Amino acid sequence: MTENEASIIKLIEELLERMDKAEGVTVTLDARLHGEDGLGLDSLDTAELSATLEDELGSDPFAEGLMPETVAEIVAFYDAKESVSA
Amino acid sequence: MSTAPRTVIITGGSRGLGAGIVQSFLDSGDRVASCSRSETDQTRKWAEEFPDRFFFMEADIADRPQCTAFVKEVLARWKSVDILVNNAGVARDGIHALFSDEDTDTVIDLNLKATFHISKQIVRNMLAHGGGSIVNISSITGLTGYRGLAVYGASKAGLDGFTRALAREVGSRKITVNSIASGYLRTEMSHGLDEDQLNQIVRRTPAGRLGEPDDIARAVQFLVDEKNNWITGQTIVIDGGLTC
Ligand SMILES: NC(=O)c1ccc[n+]([C@@H]2O[C@H](COP(=O)([O-])OP(=O)(O)OC[C@H]3O[C@@H](n4cnc5c(N)ncnc54)[C@H](OP(=O)(O)O)[C@@H]3O)[C@@H](O)[C@H]2O)c1
Repeated sequence: MTENEASIIKLIEELLERMDKAEGVTVTLDARLHGEDGLGLDSLDTAELSATLEDELGSDPFAEGLMPETVAEIVAFYDAKESVSA
Repeated sequence: MSTAPRTVIITGGSRGLGAGIVQSFLDSGDRVASCSRSETDQTRKWAEEFPDRFFFMEADIADRPQCTAFVKEVLARWKSVDILVNNAGVARDGIHALFSDEDTDTVIDLNLKATFHISKQIVRNMLAHGGGSIVNISSITGLTGYRGLAVYGASKAGLDGFTRALAREVGSRKITVNSIASGYLRTEMSHGLDEDQLNQIVRRTPAGRLGEPDDIARAVQFLVDEKNNWITGQTIVIDGGLTC
């Protein structure tokens, strides 16, 4: 697992914990953020995820107009940022 | 002070009501950040007296990049914000049939659009940090209407609507949002009213006087007190009884 993958999975796990939504949920790369068969985030949860990503990582895909559907798509956003600045 | 200092943003704190609210939170031992388009003797004095817990920056918050820069500076210093007081506001008076487009834009750009912008940024911070309170400084003219203040009154009625909707959105995240509908205060803003109008207001006010910034600052302190977190989405009228 890459550094970005690990840190974003951990951040989402902690967020679900805070929201009391962690039980019975495994955060994997291909987990969908929304819906019963995914992590079950509603729109306010998504706003909290967006704000927490910005707070911890300095930018976030939602605020830049992208609407990632899976954990992997969030990771891809930060991977792309790094490859631009590298 | 028994509790840890809170971090408070008060827009337009250089004079008038905003300055009274800044003073109140400095007195309660909190950390205060404020901005306005220009600094004043008062803001310079606070910056000298409280270098660690007063931060002032010149910023026109109706300009989104300047507003964002101000928020970024505050967060770089203190990481999270507990209380946001949306106080900066402007009144332009004049009968609507003759009202200029420029005046309409000035009032809406500050009273509504700037408030929406800074509130969005601060709500995001509050979501990431587990809660907070927002107080919007509104006016009784948003509730009753006052001739010559159609656009200003509409902006304040709009602000109260914003308060209610935002309170519903973020209530589950320990964030309260309220409006204070202030009556007429003795600040520069009411200099737009002539002596006769002011006397008439005083005569019609049960409490028999105009308001002071401190009358409103105490209500702000009440609304942001963590113990009062069951009060949200409300517009509290503080006007010496004028509209009762
Ligand atoms: N006075 C009343 O009778 C009364 C009654 C009801 C409600 N209110 C409300 O109370 C609030 C404060 O009013 P006030 O009477 O204290 O007004 P004020 O004496 O005119 O002070 C307004 C404050 O906001 C700042 N400001 C104005 N435009 C700004 C901008 N674009 N960006 C950043 N800061 C800006 C001003 O500083 P700069 O000019 O340097 O920017 C000043 O610090 C307003 O929302 C007003 O609508 C007042």
